[in-house]
Amino acid sequence: MNAVTLENVCKSFGQVHAVDNLSVEVPAGSIYGFLGPNGAGKTTTLRMIMNIIRPDSGRIEILGDGQIEKVKDRIGYMPEERGLYRKMTARKVLVYFGLIKGINEKEIIHRVPHWLETIGLADWADKKVEELSRGMHQKLQFAVTVINEPELVILDEPFSGLDPLNQELLKAIILEMRNQGRTVIFSTHVMHEAEKLCDFILLINKGKSILDGRLDEIRSRQSAHTVSVELEGDTGFVQSLPMVRAVKSEGKRLDVTLTEQDTQQFLRALMQHAKVRAFEVKVPSLHEIFVKLVGASDAQDS
Amino acid sequence: MHRILKVAQREYIETAKTKTFIIGLLMTPVIIGAIIFFTKAISGGEAGPRPPIRVAVTDLSKSLAEDIKTSFDDYNKRNPDRQFLLQRLDVQQDANSTEAQGKTKLRNGQLDAYVVLDEDILEGPGRIRFYTFKPKPANVDAFWTIENFFRKAVENRRYEIEKIDQKLLARLRNVPLERLEIGAAEGTEQVQSQGQRIAGMMVPFFFMYLIFMGMVGTGQHMLSSIIEEKNSRVIEVLLSALSPFQLMAGKILGLAGIGLTVMALWSAAAFAAASWQGLNVDVGPQLIVYFVIYYILGYLLFSAILTGIGSVCNTIKETQSLMMPVMLIFIIPMLGWFKLVQSPDGTLARVLSFVPPVTPMVMVLRLAAGSNVLFVEIAASMLVLVAAVIVVIWAAAKIFRTGILMYGKKPGLFEILRWLRQS
Repeated sequence: MNAVTLENVCKSFGQVHAVDNLSVEVPAGSIYGFLGPNGAGKTTTLRMIMNIIRPDSGRIEILGDGQIEKVKDRIGYMPEERGLYRKMTARKVLVYFGLIKGINEKEIIHRVPHWLETIGLADWADKKVEELSRGMHQKLQFAVTVINEPELVILDEPFSGLDPLNQELLKAIILEMRNQGRTVIFSTHVMHEAEKLCDFILLINKGKSILDGRLDEIRSRQSAHTVSVELEGDTGFVQSLPMVRAVKSEGKRLDVTLTEQDTQQFLRALMQHAKVRAFEVKVPSLHEIFVKLVGASDAQDS
Repeated sequence: MHRILKVAQREYIETAKTKTFIIGLLMTPVIIGAIIFFTKAISGGEAGPRPPIRVAVTDLSKSLAEDIKTSFDDYNKRNPDRQFLLQRLDVQQDANSTEAQGKTKLRNGQLDAYVVLDEDILEGPGRIRFYTFKPKPANVDAFWTIENFFRKAVENRRYEIEKIDQKLLARLRNVPLERLEIGAAEGTEQVQSQGQRIAGMMVPFFFMYLIFMGMVGTGQHMLSSIIEEKNSRVIEVLLSALSPFQLMAGKILGLAGIGLTVMALWSAAAFAAASWQGLNVDVGPQLIVYFVIYYILGYLLFSAILTGIGSVCNTIKETQSLMMPVMLIFIIPMLGWFKLVQSPDGTLARVLSFVPPVTPMVMVLRLAAGSNVLFVEIAASMLVLVAAVIVVIWAAAKIFRTGILMYGKKPGLFEILRWLRQS
């Protein structure tokens, strides 16, 4: 079952196609990363899912329903622009948003201290929001988002403005939520965050989807057939092997580009000639894929 | 509905905690009290010292100079620090040149006032001519006093000529009158003071003013609340949990509570002040019921307009230009209230009763003024008001839904009209 389905969704602001014929299926219980450079249409897409702005055309289904109003209580949404009532205390903010998200008063009494504890703001519970630091504000915003323990969590740039320690805390909570069977969609332009968390990614640029699918599949598909090896003795023979296209030497290590993807055959050939100390199939990082594909799509456009 | 109440509750509590609310709640009665107190103190108090005022008189009738001098002397004895210096400017050659001389002295600043009594002032159509040159506003009061000396002198001399006994005249003129207000039971008569009569006039105004403040005062809180949510970007979080209509309805409801609180407290304060002053203000239960109904309808209309205005603006300053035309409509009953109280069934009152934003104010004013408003009129005005409320809330909800998420440039009128046409 899909938590969110987008079919041929389009949205223009004046002459600009913010989202152009986008179709995505987010399976329930997964972490889905919406990646792309600034201005790619990530926030617009998330806002359309939340029905904050309406698509010009196309269909959006969320938690099995075409109308978000019916399922709002089962969703948590953290917008890109953070904002909370500045004059209210952290505790009251959490209680208020819990109540308007449909949690009953008995339940909220237990939930608020739990979340304050989880995000490390228990000591700041009765401080006004305007007295909190930026990082604390951000964590409180996250707690507000998930106070209703939603099935579907949508986070727009959740890691911006957090120090590495808090980023780890947030990642741990997100993974924990996935393990509980919840669905998490988040947008980011920081690739290594996505790399560690995502099951699926959608890469968009200028409103168009340029890559979509399981992260591990994407990585192997995008593999540049490169292997890094370390051998004992003379390494001159490697260049003459039939499956080798190019060799680049980096100290003791050799970066070998193969003509095809059969790394096993290459390993066998190496073992016949020399003792293999290290053998690593190089998987491209998301960062590399991002730069390569976004660069290519930009080049295509111009 | 549960959520609307939660929004309303927060709105109520957070507004009641703001400084603007508390100051407004306390300051308005304090300011009104202070104005009444000072007006009383100033008008009732003794006048302070002032430099002597120089007056010259040319008495062409040649028979009043002594009388006038006596009244001036009496006054000067009683008011040592507020002297009038009287000098005679008698005719030397001809009247015209003397008068010209007096006027020249006025222009030169040697005199503050110059008075000429016509020759036939006592028996003919002659008059007292009171000349001044660029009179100081501070002297206006003193001039009245001087004028009276001259008038009185002429009047008294006329009585003597006609042989009228002044004491007899005074006795004949004195007709005692007592204003009594009877209560429901026998023996509960009360002497009605002047204040009581004025209070009778003020009650309708008070009720109208209450409706005005209840609507406009809470309106300010509505605007600042919306602008704050917009500026702190909390709005998107809210809309992920609530529909725009729920948010708007909650705000309107919460601030209705604020308005009712303020009005209840002010009414209680006014009632307490009136009883303390011994003023008997009797307000029927019927009026209170109508008052509450009209307030609620009027408030709904006004606050819906404000949610629309607030949602398309980014700063309080921007809202002010849009508020101007709305506020101008309210000026009419505020300025014309005296006329409306005097003729509560007049054309103006009847017409204004059907102009929706001011309907509640005018109708409450008319009802409190004790006019015989037809029940048909009450029902019809309420229907018009309800229709206006429905139309405005419908339009405001559409504008609110789109406007609340817009930042940057304020949308133009045509763009707003386009939103209204969208489904």
